[in-house]
Amino acid sequence: MLSQEIIREALLKALSTGADYAEVFAEHTSQKTISLVSAKVDKIADAVISGVGIRIFKGTRCVAGSTSSLEGAAVLACAAKVADALQDTADIRDIVLRERIFGDIHPIRIVPESVENSYKIDYIREACQAAKDYSDEITQVTGSFLEVDHKILIATSEGLFTQDRQIRTRVNVTSIASDGSENQTGAVSPGARKGLELFDDFDPKELGRKASKQAVTMLHAGYINAGVMPVAIENGFGGVIFHEACGHSLEASGVALGQSQFCGKLGQQIANTKVTAIDDGTIPNGWGSVNIDDEGTPAQKKVLIDKGILKSYMVDKLNGRRMGMESTGSSRRQSYLYVPTSRMTNTYIAAGEDRDEDIISSIEYGLYAKEMGGGSVNPVTGQFNFSVREGYVIRNGKICEPVRGASLVGKGSEVIMNIDMVGKNVARAQGMCGASSGSIPTDVGQPLIRVSSITVGGR
Amino acid sequence: MTYQEFKKAVIDISRELQVADYELYYTESESTSVDTFRQEVNEYSTDSSMGVCYRCVRDGKAGYASTENLTEEEARSLILRALENMKSIESEEESFIHEKGDVYQVLPEDNGREPAGAELVENALALQKELYEADSRVADGTQSYVAYGRASYALCNSKGLDLEDKSSYALCMAVALVSDGEEMYNGYEDRDGTLDSFDLKEIAAKTVENAVSTIGAKSVPSGKYNVVFTGRAFAQLLTTYDSVFSAEAAQKGMSLLKDKEGEKIAADIVTIIDDPMYKDSTVKRTFDGEGVATYKKNVIENGTLKTLLHNLSTAAKAGVKSTGNGQKASYASNVGVGPFTFYLQPGTGNEEEFLAAAGDGICIKDVSGLHAGANPITGDFSLLAEGYRFENGQRTVPVKNITVSGNFFTVLKEIEKVGSDLKFIRAVGGKCGAPSVLVRNMTIAGE
Repeated sequence: MLSQEIIREALLKALSTGADYAEVFAEHTSQKTISLVSAKVDKIADAVISGVGIRIFKGTRCVAGSTSSLEGAAVLACAAKVADALQDTADIRDIVLRERIFGDIHPIRIVPESVENSYKIDYIREACQAAKDYSDEITQVTGSFLEVDHKILIATSEGLFTQDRQIRTRVNVTSIASDGSENQTGAVSPGARKGLELFDDFDPKELGRKASKQAVTMLHAGYINAGVMPVAIENGFGGVIFHEACGHSLEASGVALGQSQFCGKLGQQIANTKVTAIDDGTIPNGWGSVNIDDEGTPAQKKVLIDKGILKSYMVDKLNGRRMGMESTGSSRRQSYLYVPTSRMTNTYIAAGEDRDEDIISSIEYGLYAKEMGGGSVNPVTGQFNFSVREGYVIRNGKICEPVRGASLVGKGSEVIMNIDMVGKNVARAQGMCGASSGSIPTDVGQPLIRVSSITVGGR
Repeated sequence: MTYQEFKKAVIDISRELQVADYELYYTESESTSVDTFRQEVNEYSTDSSMGVCYRCVRDGKAGYASTENLTEEEARSLILRALENMKSIESEEESFIHEKGDVYQVLPEDNGREPAGAELVENALALQKELYEADSRVADGTQSYVAYGRASYALCNSKGLDLEDKSSYALCMAVALVSDGEEMYNGYEDRDGTLDSFDLKEIAAKTVENAVSTIGAKSVPSGKYNVVFTGRAFAQLLTTYDSVFSAEAAQKGMSLLKDKEGEKIAADIVTIIDDPMYKDSTVKRTFDGEGVATYKKNVIENGTLKTLLHNLSTAAKAGVKSTGNGQKASYASNVGVGPFTFYLQPGTGNEEEFLAAAGDGICIKDVSGLHAGANPITGDFSLLAEGYRFENGQRTVPVKNITVSGNFFTVLKEIEKVGSDLKFIRAVGGKCGAPSVLVRNMTIAGE
């Protein structure tokens, strides 16, 4: 992407006004999305994203800059612009870059770019066709395939020079069921830090049928009566509850500035003793995994909460300076255009000891949230929300009729105290997480859990 | 190489590869931003980005490829990728490279001067100072943000079109953190326009008021309530549902407004407008993502759906003219359909007067979770909301931890009053705006 000599020059230029740390992040990404509507290829977006982001620190002050150009002159101009924002004298005179290779724990069997469109199209078409054939009530099916080949280079004034290549693929099928006046949708979207071998993990017909089954079920569902009740949240994407209610508030980006409900709570009990939560960027081929973070720190497996006790935040270098803590390999950015900060990777509630059947039978009247949609949170107040894609009423300990349109809202610090039963079977699911450093892939996960009391929105 | 050199390379290689119909779309932007923490600059950022998208059309099928890497080698790769992708397209919707002949509006002169970085810093620090001075409960973690940027959009094609729009903007945002000794609360406020137009004291006061007014907020019993949406809250809802007005969504069976043109779909007082050259917008556009001239149109007029929004493909399929709404979410996106500056036309009255009219209910100032809790295909929404309770026409207590549920299409029909206090928020195509709105009997989930 860039020669070591240019990078060294850019780092020196960036340091020339008194910064104590400089970093060059260069990127060359190719990504393609193939979209099908009614089992026909409708659109293909095919993009190359390339550029450089430069950052300098002086104490806890940060100056950042970026340019789309990978040409030496433009990179040096960007470094000069960044340096211009400080007005001191340089105290670092030379930099010796030493290349470092971290291992790659995410083997890629079939690099997507090396395979023609038709192979990918055939897979999605099969999924879409199965979705359409599932029922006469399915009026429309859309499908898509995403491939990303993200090559990054990171060099710092401390002498680090390293590179990584992150390949990801993802499939989506969305079905619409309609009775003429009302529509309901169902969707599946598995992905991994894998190449086209992802296709071996999922039978396309199964994916299509699953999306359609959800849409048809919801078309015939009523609305849940709104109110406060116990809720059983299924494994997999159900883990979005921890991601929103708690995960974002443990990111150093907010904690370092006093903008989190969990500031100053290390070592204290913040969750129910049944809750152990982990952020693990080292899961082989995990959707949210990285070999190194976007500052060149190796990924870690961190226990965030151990039996209810807060053990660790997710920390990047800049916020680590503010907090007096080491980076936990949590710094991430969507691209060179975004300034990186601490983010989640694969975050999940660890397995507990409750049996699934005991969790369901413990609820006299409540909601069984089988599939979740996305959500959001205000990390300062902890006020969060997320939607239930497929839900069922629980009556007398039994799962009964389907209900639509439910959403769950609450305050993170209260809800994680209310997670009072935790099942044994952890599953993870894929999402895109949006925050100040852009949209990044993250996994959420958990076993089946019970929240003893939460506000359910409905009609 | 520069864009002009790259453009020449693309034209030459297209000729060599015998690509007859193609278009090159280019965007470039530069911005500088400052945010603060305590009384210091926290982060200073200066960004310059650009990208080009090549679109070729043969037998009505379009192939796309985009890049940010402007080199001779990449120009060839870009065209080859687009040609390859074009071969895979099966959709029966016909794509077009637009001909010359449209009459384009003229952008007003850009009067915004470009501030120096130091001036942005000065303004951000001044705003931060105002935030702390506005109330003794303002806590560290409060942040101000000031930015200035310029953007240009250019399109040239094999039919001889050669267009460019330029815009500039200044942006100012504040997030105040306040503490009542036990809990933290936050509130935000933003403005755009020119740096000189920002009244920092007023912005700070409003931001802090937004935070302070949530202190002690509680949930309410579940039930049906009269709801006054503030302009900001209703604009959030409107922008989430703007895709229902897309002819593309309708033609693909993904909008319930399919074949509803000419029908009454909303209350009489509802008029919704798309105006790409809206006077106060910082992103005015004279041409859309296909080079079609933009113009102002009523999408809903006094409750009747006048038109869906069209690009060239959807218009050809429907046998109408494009409404100039061929939208590219970014330069790299395929041409879709979407509004530019989209807003609910103001009526009379405001938030305060609606409290009196409704007597009893909840005013919703903010909704969240729109990306998951609002479904444009079904119209259903169930959203986290906050605001305040009012009784006998008077504000009583702040409210949080509730959801407001309903269906967008039903809400359009049941809007009882539309205020004059139009408020805009940023949206994909530019901006989305709404005044305060009164809707009776909405479902609120609380305790």
